[in-house]
Amino acid sequence: MYKIWLLFDPRRALVALSAFLFVLALIIHFICLSSDRFNWLEGKPAVRAAAIEMTTSLV
Amino acid sequence: MAEDRSSLSGVSDAEAKEFHALFVSSFVAFTVVAALAHVLVWMWRPWIPGPKGWALLDSAHTVITQLIG
Repeated sequence: MYKIWLLFDPRRALVALSAFLFVLALIIHFICLSSDRFNWLEGKPAVRAAAIEMTTSLV
Repeated sequence: MAEDRSSLSGVSDAEAKEFHALFVSSFVAFTVVAALAHVLVWMWRPWIPGPKGWALLDSAHTVITQLIG
């Protein structure tokens, strides 16, 4: 398996991999922040949507 | 030391082995941290909804206390 570094330049592979992982992490974090359920800064209760649905069905 | 520089990347066999050991250990460390983070987030709020949506997965007593209170 180590022979992969005879094909690909380790320095370029490291830069490319870290850049890819950083951009991917950034995208996933922003997607989570933009969602209602996984926004950890607003901290809305997870059951809010279900509770609203139940109260409106009772009324 | 006459090293073989004929590889495409210009890295010798010994250097490739040395880099690979470091790469694998770094990869394992990264994966362990990522897995730990995923476990913590799943404990906070799981991201696969049940057949009836999120409601069954989240604590039922919150809905009940909201209805009573």
